[in-house]
Amino acid sequence: MFIRAIVMMLLSAWVLDAPQATSYREVFVHRGPGVTFYESGKLYPGVPVNIIERNRVGNWVHITRTGDTGIVYLDGWVMTGYLNLDEGFRLSQIPVNTEVADADPNNADYKVTADLYAVPVISEVSRAMQGVYRYGQALGNNSAVVTKVGDSVSTNPLYLNPMSRDDYDLGPYDFLEDTIKYFGPSLATGSVASRIGMTTYVVFDPLWADKELCQPAETPLACEYRIKRPSIAMILFGPNDVRHMTDAEFAVQIRMIVEQSLDQGIIPVLSTFSVHPDDGLWWQAINFNLRLTEIATEYEVPLINFWAAARILPEYGLDEDHIHIANSGFPNIKFSTGHEAWYGTSLQNLLAIRMLDEIRLTLNMQ
Amino acid sequence: MRILLLILATIFLLTACATAQTSDPADVVERYLDAKIKGDQTVLQELLCLPMEADLPREAASFATVTDARIEDMQCEHTEGTDIVQCTGQIIATYGTEDTTFDLASYRVVQEDGEWKWCGEAG
Repeated sequence: MFIRAIVMMLLSAWVLDAPQATSYREVFVHRGPGVTFYESGKLYPGVPVNIIERNRVGNWVHITRTGDTGIVYLDGWVMTGYLNLDEGFRLSQIPVNTEVADADPNNADYKVTADLYAVPVISEVSRAMQGVYRYGQALGNNSAVVTKVGDSVSTNPLYLNPMSRDDYDLGPYDFLEDTIKYFGPSLATGSVASRIGMTTYVVFDPLWADKELCQPAETPLACEYRIKRPSIAMILFGPNDVRHMTDAEFAVQIRMIVEQSLDQGIIPVLSTFSVHPDDGLWWQAINFNLRLTEIATEYEVPLINFWAAARILPEYGLDEDHIHIANSGFPNIKFSTGHEAWYGTSLQNLLAIRMLDEIRLTLNMQ
Repeated sequence: MRILLLILATIFLLTACATAQTSDPADVVERYLDAKIKGDQTVLQELLCLPMEADLPREAASFATVTDARIEDMQCEHTEGTDIVQCTGQIIATYGTEDTTFDLASYRVVQEDGEWKWCGEAG
């Protein structure tokens, strides 16, 4: 009883001191940090709320609205990007809730989508990856080098490459700065293993390799790994492959990419991809994404569940063609405008940088 | 005279048969590349060497994501006494509205049952 009273007192004190914000539009408040959680109320523009805590990425915050008598009128989670935040507000100032799930799979429409929602948006870094990293360092890989492997969604120059620019504007995501500084310079150049039209098949086809940079008979993947000697490869396939192969064939190819990366001491970061429900290949894409999550679990490699995180974005973060990701229009990394709640590329960059941050901190990269 | 003509005719026929049987390595490579951009699995299977049989799905799907794939200025030449066919020219394909190019290179050919087969890029 005494302990409970102390906890309540501390919580009340924190709520009183908690940063405040308002929403600039009418938004639903959810019972957890994701679109699958039931709605617990609505937040109207201009109504002040307290920011209590955040999720692991920082793109959802737990808010409350408490009356003068202590009655809680509103309690739930909203996307950080929906809020008007004080200029000095920093997500590093508020507690991180590491226990809260990213989704409530019980509320998914189908069993298969429930399975996909159940996968965290940002995975934890396994002990196995510590071994891979050490092995890569022994081979001479560059700790601060990240590269991209994938199709046109990956090739997009607004995906990760802006990390190399000095004019990043992190807004509330101040805690990502060290990671941007650490990996940013390595993303100033393109990747020969990331090209428009590329698939999990042709990343192993020497015909697709850049003849000026690659050796005769060298595959694009082998060439990129030889040139850059990265410690991390951000692997992004699916939107092209889903139109030309089965999920079983896709899984074989992804396994080959993962194994070649691990063999060279490179941590492969997999990512699910967004798909529009109007796309005739919706179910095929869901199966592709499930294969990606299964392979990530099997090899204990990091995975970004972009599919799940992007469900709340307009058009699921996709461009008009429903294949590519919608860009915010900014050439730099810019999170001060809340665009990660609106544009696929902004969210994609946020999740990728947060995943790199998790890897860097876990593996003590410096 | 009649015997000489008979001998010459026999030599001519034997030479013709031999040529048809072994095919022309440069021609095999050109046909292979043409089939590859078209995704013609039947022709690819016919011209692909045995050690690369498992790569057939990849070879057939290589240009599946692009449209209007075409080969420009292709010239292939077999260096006598080697297993190398050197090609110049390029493949141009369109993805969305953007053209992407692939430079042709040197390719390895092998003889299987007297027929030349395409066997990947020359290392």
